[in-house]
Amino acid sequence: MRRTYLGEFEELVLLMIAILDGHAYGVTVSQEIEQHTGRVVTFGAVHNTLIRLEEKGFVTSQLGGATTERGGRRKRLFKVTTLGKSALTDIQQLRNKLWTLMPDATLKLNGL
Amino acid sequence: MNTPLPPRWAKVLLLWLHPENTIEEVEGDLDELYAYSYQRFGKRKAVLRYLLNVVSVLPPFVRRRKTQYKPSLSLSPDMLKNYFKIAWRNIVRQKAYSILNIAGLSIGMACSILILLWVQNELSYDRFHDRASQLFRLTCSAGDFKTAVSAAGMAGGLQAQLPQIKSGVRISKLSPMLFEVGEKKVEEKRVFYADSNFLEVFSFPLLSGNTATALKDPGAILITEETAKKYYGTSDAVGKTIRINNNDNFTIAGILVNSPSNSHLQFDAIIPMKTMAKWNGDLQNDTWNNFNFYTYLELDVKTAGSVPAQQKVLLQIANVFKARGQDIKLDFQLQPLTDIHLHSNLQIDLPGHGNIQYVNIFLIVAIFILVVACINFMNLSTARSERRAKEVGLRKVVGANRYQLVFQFLGESLIFSFLSLVIAIGIVYLLLPVFKMLTEKTLAINLLDGKLLLSLLGIAVLTGLLSGSYPALFLSGFAPVKVLKSKMRVAGGNLLFRNALVVTQFVVAIVLLVGTAVVYKQLDFIKERNLGFDKSNLLYLPMTGELGGKQQALKASLAQNPLTENFTVISGLPTNHESGTIDVIWDGQTAKNQVVFPSFDVDENFVKVFKSQLLAGRGFDKAFSGDSSSYMINEKAMQVMGMNLENAVGKSLTFGETKGTIIGVVKDFHFKSLQYAMEPLVLRLNKWGGVVVVRTTAGSNEQAIKALGRINQQLNPAFPFTFGFLDKDLDNLYRSEQQMGSIFNLFAGLAIFISCLGLYGLSAFMAEQRTKEIGVRKVLGATVAGMVGLLARDFLKLILIAIVIASPIAWYAMNKWLQGFAYQTTLEWWVIALAAILATGIALFTISFQSIKAALMNPVKSLRSE
Repeated sequence: MRRTYLGEFEELVLLMIAILDGHAYGVTVSQEIEQHTGRVVTFGAVHNTLIRLEEKGFVTSQLGGATTERGGRRKRLFKVTTLGKSALTDIQQLRNKLWTLMPDATLKLNGL
Repeated sequence: MNTPLPPRWAKVLLLWLHPENTIEEVEGDLDELYAYSYQRFGKRKAVLRYLLNVVSVLPPFVRRRKTQYKPSLSLSPDMLKNYFKIAWRNIVRQKAYSILNIAGLSIGMACSILILLWVQNELSYDRFHDRASQLFRLTCSAGDFKTAVSAAGMAGGLQAQLPQIKSGVRISKLSPMLFEVGEKKVEEKRVFYADSNFLEVFSFPLLSGNTATALKDPGAILITEETAKKYYGTSDAVGKTIRINNNDNFTIAGILVNSPSNSHLQFDAIIPMKTMAKWNGDLQNDTWNNFNFYTYLELDVKTAGSVPAQQKVLLQIANVFKARGQDIKLDFQLQPLTDIHLHSNLQIDLPGHGNIQYVNIFLIVAIFILVVACINFMNLSTARSERRAKEVGLRKVVGANRYQLVFQFLGESLIFSFLSLVIAIGIVYLLLPVFKMLTEKTLAINLLDGKLLLSLLGIAVLTGLLSGSYPALFLSGFAPVKVLKSKMRVAGGNLLFRNALVVTQFVVAIVLLVGTAVVYKQLDFIKERNLGFDKSNLLYLPMTGELGGKQQALKASLAQNPLTENFTVISGLPTNHESGTIDVIWDGQTAKNQVVFPSFDVDENFVKVFKSQLLAGRGFDKAFSGDSSSYMINEKAMQVMGMNLENAVGKSLTFGETKGTIIGVVKDFHFKSLQYAMEPLVLRLNKWGGVVVVRTTAGSNEQAIKALGRINQQLNPAFPFTFGFLDKDLDNLYRSEQQMGSIFNLFAGLAIFISCLGLYGLSAFMAEQRTKEIGVRKVLGATVAGMVGLLARDFLKLILIAIVIASPIAWYAMNKWLQGFAYQTTLEWWVIALAAILATGIALFTISFQSIKAALMNPVKSLRSE
């Protein structure tokens, strides 16, 4: 199987979308990243990544219904597609495989 | 709580620069993030972050979301409804145009369907047998003389020696017999003898009776359901008896299902071969050198499927033949059963064969007629494109893309073609009886037949796509701005294309016209050709029943009556003479057994009655007692034997077993269809009978027939009186050509008619477009004739081009067809000229309606509106 190409940040965003499970949009994704990694990212980076992920077919988006919050402006909510899910599991499996291949010494050395 | 607001100017910047299609969500997100940081970190940091975020979503940093704008699908129910509505409105609003279009298409389709039915029928011959692919007919040829028959001993002999041959069936030639059941006496023509395994090899089912034993008993007979109904009024006739030839009684052993119309074997009754073996020497001796039977061989699957294996079998057959001591130089062929109907050009064959050439020709004609009809559609739709230009423009402005428009117009032409299909099927139903008469075939259109239905739908879809493709591409290509500003001009390229289409139509029409003319000319040529004897007023009476035994009495009574005294007795009619031998020896012969010599047995009156011409020597004469071993030959035979008029008479000639001398040479006369070249002929003195041919005088035919009838009644009371006219039989030889002629005529007429429908539409449109011009011209003093000429000139030019293109095509095609005849009419230039003039005339006539109407119009009316 062809390995799915996902950048580091893309993977992070994709994971966040998966975690948020239907409530993912620009704000929540930015906040989650900030909370879990401590990284402060510009909104533009998140916004661009979301668009790119959608172009790659890992997520789909939909404009949520108009609300009274944010001056009636709609949110664009993101959902992971099947392709996105399989990409995430692929990455995880690969990582796991690679970890098992690693000699114990290396790990210890690294851990020191 | 008061929602904190980010700096205004940053928001303006955002609104101004951020991509339009994501501004809503981004603005909202940024506001939310601002509020969040405001609460967590305070205003200063929140503003800082906000500004940073804004910059990060401004070009060049921001990624643009591709437009996810979804146009309404072409296939959405609303759009489909709209398409249908518009299509229907167009059909209804432009009634004349729609009628022209649908009429053209439906007539074209009806033609194609009829032709396809016919072609399908022709191609289906003999495919219904279970083992059709394994069955072959053994045929042989000696030089150019190819024949369908083989010898009686071959089927059994070859099967015994060659393991590849699983079984062999012999069938006799058709032998007419007098059937008698009670009071009913009819001469049945479609009767033959067949080997006992006939029903096992061929798939002709029995309604009742035992397939395995039905043809074993020599006293048995099988009759078809139809025959049974004819004689007994019921198909339940097993065990009843039929008296045949006023001589033998046969017991009906089984009832056959009527022979399918697409079988080359057509029969009303079949008699076991054993019956024939009682009196036939060929069968008793299992002869290998008398070729009188049709032999069908069933090969095993492996051999039947491979050509090299078949070649090997043929080689083996030749070897077996040689090993039998046969020194005749013969080539054998295995003719696939399914090829017999269409690919057979053999002599001494069963009657009623088709011709693959005609199948191909008609297929091409069918395609052309359909194309002509499609061209009509294309022409009319593109010509009227201006009417729809506004619609196209508007649709494009509202957001239709080109594919949608193409889809719409293709869909519209499909609606037209399906409407036409329905009408076409109606026309086919109406025309089937006429077509049946023309082709003498029982064709049926069965709409429940899935294959047929599929091909009909196929035709409709093909027609729709073909005729709709150009208009769809053309119409959908309009630039909306131009058409909505009414600056559309009929493009030159479009006009050129349309003209090319009109030219194509007329090329097809002219070629078909020339074809019709040539077919008729050739038929006429054949009918009028001097056959070497005078064929008119020749009445014949076959010697059936007791007449054969009472020849002296017959001759005496014929001679007594002045109406019939001019008679001769010959062995067979010179229509399609079927027999010949290569066992001929003459003075000065160089190689034996090379040429096939057909022979006729004629009596002393032959030359006088047939009005044939003696070139040298004399005819048979009662005054010469030795004439029973004398021969007459024809010119061709004389040339073949290397003699000339001076030295031929008196040379010795051995024909079969009888050695004799040549006493005379007759001018060549035709004794076969004119499709065959003249063959050498030997005439012997008739000692056994055959057919009485009487030359009557013109006008006394009726009385002569009555006189013959009386003679028959006296001498041959048990048999019904049968007679015929030789010239009619001769004409019947060219039945298939005649059929071809009339079918060609029909379709040429229809092709022209369809072309004219299109031309009519086009001329109407042109006249309409030029209304103003005509008005101005008339005001300035143009005459009506001048105007008509002006309008007709454009079309005339096209027709002239069509004539130039069509002439060589027609010339070539018809020459090719004529090559199939040994005697051909000449293809003269005036035939093509005539067709061209006819086509031009019809076209001008068609155009004249509209152009005269336009030219007569009062200019005040056409000019007032502006």
